[in-house]
Order: sequence, then C-alpha cells, then structure tokens
Amino acid sequence: MPCRGYPERRRLLLRLMVCAALIRFTAAASAQAPSGIAVVVHPDVPVDNLTVSELRRLVLGDREFWPAGIRVTLLIRAPVARERDVVLKDLCQMTEAQFRQHWIGKVFRADTALAPKIVYSTAMAIDLVNRTPGAITFVDASQLTRGLKVVRIDGRLPTDKGYALP
Amino acid sequence: MTEYPSLRLSGFGDIDFAAQAASEGPRGFSEGQFVLHLASALSPRVNVFGELSLTPRVDAGTGSPAATGFNAEVERIIIRFDQSDHLKVSFGRYHTPINWWNTAFHHGQWLQTTISRPEMVQFGGRFIPVHFVGALVEGSVPASGWNVNYQAGIGNGRGNVISRGGDAGDNNARPAYLLNVFTKPDRAFGLQVGGSLYFDRISSPGRPEFDERIVAGHAVWQREDPEAIFEVADVRHELAGGATATSNLAYYAQLAYRLPSAFRLWKPYYRFEHIDIDAADAGFTGVPNLDASTIGVRFDISSYAAIKTEGRIRRRAADQARTNGWFLQICFTF
Repeated sequence: MPCRGYPERRRLLLRLMVCAALIRFTAAASAQAPSGIAVVVHPDVPVDNLTVSELRRLVLGDREFWPAGIRVTLLIRAPVARERDVVLKDLCQMTEAQFRQHWIGKVFRADTALAPKIVYSTAMAIDLVNRTPGAITFVDASQLTRGLKVVRIDGRLPTDKGYALP
Repeated sequence: MTEYPSLRLSGFGDIDFAAQAASEGPRGFSEGQFVLHLASALSPRVNVFGELSLTPRVDAGTGSPAATGFNAEVERIIIRFDQSDHLKVSFGRYHTPINWWNTAFHHGQWLQTTISRPEMVQFGGRFIPVHFVGALVEGSVPASGWNVNYQAGIGNGRGNVISRGGDAGDNNARPAYLLNVFTKPDRAFGLQVGGSLYFDRISSPGRPEFDERIVAGHAVWQREDPEAIFEVADVRHELAGGATATSNLAYYAQLAYRLPSAFRLWKPYYRFEHIDIDAADAGFTGVPNLDASTIGVRFDISSYAAIKTEGRIRRRAADQARTNGWFLQICFTF
C-alpha cells in the first residue's frame, strides 16, 4: 500500500510546484508590467477630466484655481519615486534640476507663495489628497484604493490604451 | 493643511571676479548682491512677497558720516489678492513688468544663465524704468490653448533720479500706466511671446519735463535645448508740449544650449546686444550706446549652485576702440 501512495504524492508535489511556479511567474509579470500613474484629486474638486496641457499647467503652477474658485494644492512625491519621474519626464518634459529651478523661480517671481508639497509615500499622498480641499496628487494605478476620485486625462483612465502617464 | 501666515524664506548670492577696463566697472574679486526673498501666504487668497538686497558700496567708509559698507534696498514688496486665475490685484513696489528679463530673474543671479544682465535692463540703468510703485491687475485666460496673460498697472513712474522709481510719492501729477500682454501657447510648450506699453511723464528738478512712451516686445523659448531670448524696446521722449521728440532703441538676442547626457551640467551661451541713443535726447544724456557680444559657459556644480565664466566685447561708439573683459561668477540659492 505505501508503494501506491508514492505516485500520488509525487503528482501532488508536482502540481504544487507547477502552481508555485505559475504564481511566481504571474507575480513577476505583474511587477514588471508598468501600471499608469493615476491623477487623484480631493473629492470636492469639480473636475472629472483634464487635458494634458491643463494638467501640465497645474503641475507647473501656471494654473492656481479649480473652476469653483478652490485653490489648487499640489502634492508631489519626493525625488526617486516613479510617480515623480513620470510626471516630470512625460508631462513637464523636464529634468529634476529643471523642475526645481522652475519652482524656485516661480516663487521668487511672486507668481505664487506656495510651492508644491512633498509627500513621501503613496499612503501619505492618498491621506493628504482626501483631507486637503483642492488637492491633486499622483498615485501608481496599481495602488489605488476605494473611494479615491481619479481624474481622466484626455478622456482616458490609467487602464486605457494611450493614457498620457504610462 | 496650510497654516497662515506661511512664511517661506530663500536667498541668492554671488561672488564675482572681473578683468576689464576700469571704465566699464569693478575689477578683481567683488561681492555680488546678497538677496533675501520672502513669500508668505496670509490666507488662501492673500499673499505677500518681499525682496531685500544688500549691495557692497564702492565708497564704503568714506565721507562724513562714513558711508556704510552695503546699500540696503527693498527691491520688491507686494501684497496680492487672488480672486481667481483670471483676476489678481496687487499693490506695492515691483520690477516693472514691461520687460521679460526684469520679471523673470529679478535679483537672482543663479536663475539667469549668464553672469550679466543685458545693459538695457541693468540695475541702476536708465533705459528702462526698472522699478514701479503702484497697483497691478493681472491674470490669465485659457483662450483655446493660447493662455493669454495680462498685467495692467498704474503707479508713480520714474522718480527725480530717473533710474529710480518714485518710492516716496509721485513727483508730478501724471501717473505712469503700463500694459503687458503675453501668450504661452499649449501647442508650443516653452514658448512665450508678448508685448508691453508704458506711459509716463518724467520730471527732474531743473530740467524740462518729458512724456515717455515705451513700446517693448519679447519672444522667449524657455526650454534649455535650446534656450532663446529676444527682447526689443523703443523708448520715445517728447518734450512736454510736443516740441521735440526723440526715439531710442535697444534689443538683445541670447542663445544657450544645455549639453546632452554626460555633459548636461554644461550650458554654453552667446548674447548680442545693441543700444542706440538719440544724441538729441536730453532725458538720456550720458546713457551710452552699445554694441556688445557676450560668450560664456555655465556649469552647474549642484542643483543650487553654478559657476559661470564669460567674455564680453563692447563698443560704445563707432570711433572708439572695443573694450574686452573676462568674468567669473559663483552664484547660488539657499
């Protein structure tokens, strides 16, 4: 009898190994597949869609108010975060140094008194965007949680083809 | 989340070295301006901005009482009420917004690519009124992606010394007016094109009064690959009463390029500038003509500091010899 059990155990072991390999492969694939960067705003911001140009003007401080007269508060990740890299490179077409110089100049020119606020984690970005009226931030779409107000860019969401912040 | 008032303090400084003809300015090492900038939001719609400078004096320690080592100056002090992006109203002392360079870099040497400002907007110069004390209405409208910005102002205009604004009040009954309009189109991100008008009456003790009209324009490509700046201004003076009119022209064109990849910290540049003063213009007596070329390179030693070196070749009049100069500057923000 014990001899009959061996093939079953072997089959079970084989199945477990195949499952583990599949899980590992799927996890690796999903980690490698880039998810878009979602634009998240405070729930009271009366905007559902922005053009790329409008979004760029918000990030560069050229636009300071939402339509309802609410002041924009820009929450942006600290350097090295992927969200920041994508926003600077793909949206603002700037290097880190150029973006810093832009904002130092912006405040120095008296265009605005408030520079972007730095957030150090996705959790911090999500927490602050929900608590700060007029806030806008950027979150990796794979880390979006329920209840967040995600704004479309040129009519597209991060899962759509041709999304502006890949 | 934001607490009011939210004071933000920043500063600019520079150390310079010059080798040039004594007639053109200081030689050897010199301290540049020490500039402090203050920005404070008093509420979501009210902001205050200030810019203070300390400039070393050539006559420090001389005279009676002895001159101080530095000139302290309130370069800008502005309180602004932001109704929306379309309408912002402010009062204070500004850098006159009829010239792009004047309002893009102010006293922040680190912000500008070159060491020197174009001579037409030189601090202490007389060609363009650098400071303006009064009120400004400004804003921007999307205009189908043209992003049209405007600034309209009324103020004191030039003071008794025409290189200075009328800080302590207007010296005549005619206020100065200005209008500045520019566009930053979405389709050409980085481009800014605009023009300005400025009207004032100039009154200096013991001299006749002039009506001044300035028409200026600019086109700027603000990206660094390349960076291109072109500005032109025509300053017309007419004796009060309309007897004589003179016209003075100045322009400059600057081109710079941030080198790619491994050389991205280097940014070579070139500027040509021209000033043509009408010899009959009594308001600009002593303002020199100029044809000048400036060629140099900027090296960013960190995100907040840079070293620049440049050579300048200047000719003040056709029958005069050129003067050359070599300059070095370390500038920073903190």
